[in-house]
Amino acid sequence: MAGDRDFYQILGVPREASQDDIQRAYRRLARTHHPDVNSDPAAEERFKDISEAYDVLSDPQTRRRYDAFGPDFRQVPEDVDPETWRRAQAGARATAGAGGRAGGGGFGFGTGDEIDIDDLLGGLFGGRAGRAGRDRAGRGWGPVPGADQTAEIEISIEEAYHGARRTVSLASPEGTRNLQVSIPAGVTDGQRIRLSGQGGRGGDGARPGDLYLLIRIAPHRNYRLEGRDLHADLRLTPWEAALGTSVALPTPGGEAKVKVPPGTSCGRRLRLRGRGLPNPRGKPGDLLAEAKIVVPAKLSEAERKLFEQLAATSEFDPRRGR
Amino acid sequence: MTYALIRADGLDLRAFAAAAGLHPELVRRLVALGVLDASCDCSGDFWFAPGQLAVVARIQRLRAGLGLNYASIGLVLDLLDRIAALEAALRQARRSGG
Repeated sequence: MAGDRDFYQILGVPREASQDDIQRAYRRLARTHHPDVNSDPAAEERFKDISEAYDVLSDPQTRRRYDAFGPDFRQVPEDVDPETWRRAQAGARATAGAGGRAGGGGFGFGTGDEIDIDDLLGGLFGGRAGRAGRDRAGRGWGPVPGADQTAEIEISIEEAYHGARRTVSLASPEGTRNLQVSIPAGVTDGQRIRLSGQGGRGGDGARPGDLYLLIRIAPHRNYRLEGRDLHADLRLTPWEAALGTSVALPTPGGEAKVKVPPGTSCGRRLRLRGRGLPNPRGKPGDLLAEAKIVVPAKLSEAERKLFEQLAATSEFDPRRGR
Repeated sequence: MTYALIRADGLDLRAFAAAAGLHPELVRRLVALGVLDASCDCSGDFWFAPGQLAVVARIQRLRAGLGLNYASIGLVLDLLDRIAALEAALRQARRSGG
C-alpha cells in the first residue's frame, strides 16, 4: 500500500500533470521496478505503490475524487460535496483530537470480479496497454504467482569457512520482513542460496516466488580469496628466508605451521593443502602463503656490523646472469 | 489402438492449464504465439515441461504490470533469459576466481 504518500509524488509528476504525463511517468517507473526486471525485494513494494498511484490517477473520475478528498477518497460516498466533506473532517478532528482514519478496505475502484470468456481469450493479438489492459489482463488470468527475487548478503571469510546464521531484513509490501538464514560452511563469493517461497507475493493467494540470496564475501585484512583458495602474506626476516624456519600462520580454521625452506625468496608461494575454504561437494581449497621479506627499518649497531660482515663475505649477486 | 512406447515427460495441456489456472485454449494460443514452449507427441497433443509454469507466471506479470502485447512479451522473455544466463556465467567466473 502507498499508505499516506501522495500518488503524484509516487509517480513524480506535478498535480496539474496531463494524463499523458501520468502515463509516461508510470511506464518509465514500471519498467524500472517491475518484479521481473528488478529482482530487488524492495522493488516489489515500490511497484505496488506505483501501480496503485497509476490506477487512481489514470482514471479521470477517480483522479478528480482523489484531488478533492485526498487519501480518504475511497471512503467518501459519490454525492458528497468536497467542501462539505472538508468542513466535516475538520470538525471531527477538532472534537476527536488526532483524526483517525476509518478502517480501510471499502470498495475497490476497479470493475467487478466477474470472469468473462471474451476477456479471457479476446484481444490476444492486440497490443492492449494502459490501465484497461492491465485490468482486463488481471481479471482474465486469475491468480498470478509471485516473481523470484534476489538480495545480496555480505559475509566474512570466517563465516564462509565455518557457516553462519544471519538475520536478513527485506522490504516488502507488508512491511519489513526478517528472515533467519543458515549459511552453509564453504559458500563462495557469488554463490546463490535459494529460499523457497520467500520471494515476491503472489496475487489472490497464488504461490509466492523464491528468494535468492547472493553471497558476497567481504574483503579481509589478512586474506585474499580466489575461488576456494586463500592467499595470505607470510612476513619473514632476511635470515629466516635464507636459513629456513617454521612460522605460525593464522588461518580461518585455526593456526597453521608453515615450513619455510632455506633460500626462500620474496614472492615464493608455499601451499598448505586443504587449508582454504571447505567444499561440501569435493576437495577443499588451499591456503597459499606468499613470502614477503621484511627488513628492519632501523638497524642496531650489532645488526649493522653483521650485515656489513655478510656483505663483505658473500659473493651472491641477484642481478648477475639476468 | 495405439499405445505410446515412452511416457512423455511433463504435463499435458489439461494438467498444465489447471496448474497455471488458465483456460486450455489460452494455453494453446500462447504456444501458437511462441511465448510458451511445448513439445508435440505423435498424436499431436502438447506436453509442457514443469518449468513452463514459471514462464506462464512471468507472462502474466509482464502483461498485467506493463500492459505488454504478446510480441513484446516474447522479446522480453528472451532478453530476460539472456540476462539470467549472462549473470549466471558472471557468477560462475567469479566463483572460479577468473
